[in-house]
Amino acid sequence: MKKLSSAVLGLAFTFALGTMANAQVPTDPQIVGIVQTANRIDIDQARLALRKSTNPQVKEFANQMISDHTNLEKSVTDLANKLGAKEQTSDTAKQLKQQAAEESKKLNGLKGSDFDREYVSHEIAFHQAVIDAATNTLIPNAKNAELKSALQNAAPVLQGHLQHAQQLQQSLQGSSH
Amino acid sequence: MLQANRSTTAVSPAALLRFGLRVAAAGVIALTCCFSAHAATGPSHQIVIIKQMHFEPATLNVKAGDTVEWKNEDIFTHTATASDGSFDSGPIAPGSSWQTTISKAGTIAYHCGPHPNMTAQLVVAQTGESGQHEHEGAPGKEEEESLRWSPPRRPEEFHPILVNFTAALLPLAVLSDLLGRLLRRQALHTVGLWMMVYEAAITPLTVFAGWWWKSTEANQLPAKLIMVHQWLGTAAALLFIVLAVWRWRFHRRAIPPTWTYLTFGFVALLALVYQGSLGGAMVFGK
Repeated sequence: MKKLSSAVLGLAFTFALGTMANAQVPTDPQIVGIVQTANRIDIDQARLALRKSTNPQVKEFANQMISDHTNLEKSVTDLANKLGAKEQTSDTAKQLKQQAAEESKKLNGLKGSDFDREYVSHEIAFHQAVIDAATNTLIPNAKNAELKSALQNAAPVLQGHLQHAQQLQQSLQGSSH
Repeated sequence: MLQANRSTTAVSPAALLRFGLRVAAAGVIALTCCFSAHAATGPSHQIVIIKQMHFEPATLNVKAGDTVEWKNEDIFTHTATASDGSFDSGPIAPGSSWQTTISKAGTIAYHCGPHPNMTAQLVVAQTGESGQHEHEGAPGKEEEESLRWSPPRRPEEFHPILVNFTAALLPLAVLSDLLGRLLRRQALHTVGLWMMVYEAAITPLTVFAGWWWKSTEANQLPAKLIMVHQWLGTAAALLFIVLAVWRWRFHRRAIPPTWTYLTFGFVALLALVYQGSLGGAMVFGK
């Protein structure tokens, strides 16, 4: 049931990130805004995981998310300042925030291994959705070449997080049986 | 003033020359020790750059006994973790590096712990082979190669060399003055004086090389060990300067150093031995 709900949520993220392609092409400042929103969401939820989880593997993963996404956020901020493309909000960014708030509320109500499983499966769905959005929408629509290549360089780290989260999910399932 | 001092210490130019020659000879011996120690630390040093979520090169050919260094030039923290468990760097922060000596021949696959999609491998040839399978076991060859000397460039080369001087001069300074008092020999006091002055002059360099080394290793060092080692070393450098000034004042008053001075020298010596054991633990004690 929980798995299903996070799959639904993943779909919601995909939907949020996917609708902009249909609605309108995001501008570079909006792309920056979407990327930074996604970074902050992941950092916030990792902080929540550090507070709530007692599983050392989950904490290690959360620490890594904070470290990597903080660095990513900083590099995007630096680039945006350099390019004069200060981040701008968009419907997509707003939807992302809203969905993240719902997920945080849900995570706040969970404890122990239930929390760990929900957090990790949400991380999988979230990273998958961001990778898809970057590949299909953000990268093709980025007008500035430096922004485009920065997004391309960020893709492998998201892929790495996804794979790490998947390994973590398997090990959590293994330990619960 | 200076003139007066010279006459009171009663050291002939010939004695000074002989002493100088002995110091030079000791220096040569010490340097030879350093260089052979340096040569024995590793036949060659290879580097893997971590950049944009990749290990470069993805396949590195090394010989058993080579040192491999991973330099993190990415914006993320990474690890170099061998799949067979033979090495694990722990977190390598952006801008820092980690190194290990590869002892086992064969192919070692490794990856980044936090980013499992980052994979690479080391192809480790037996010592005596050169990358590809040539000759098995030519024992003399490796030793010959390792004796080649190249000037030190990096802090991990400077610090161990300088440490030899710091470690040798203090016991000689204290011992010379001790023997000078027991045997009532002025020449030994002269040795004690100059050894302490050299000790005070060279140890700040040793400490500087130590801090420099630490700055390149960042957080891969045992936290408590390095914390004590860095501050004890810095304090020791200051203490040696105080001792040298103190020793110089005895010289100016043309009297042998007091037992209080010698006691302080001995305590400094004990601290230095402890300091050396901490340094050794970090380099050899894995």
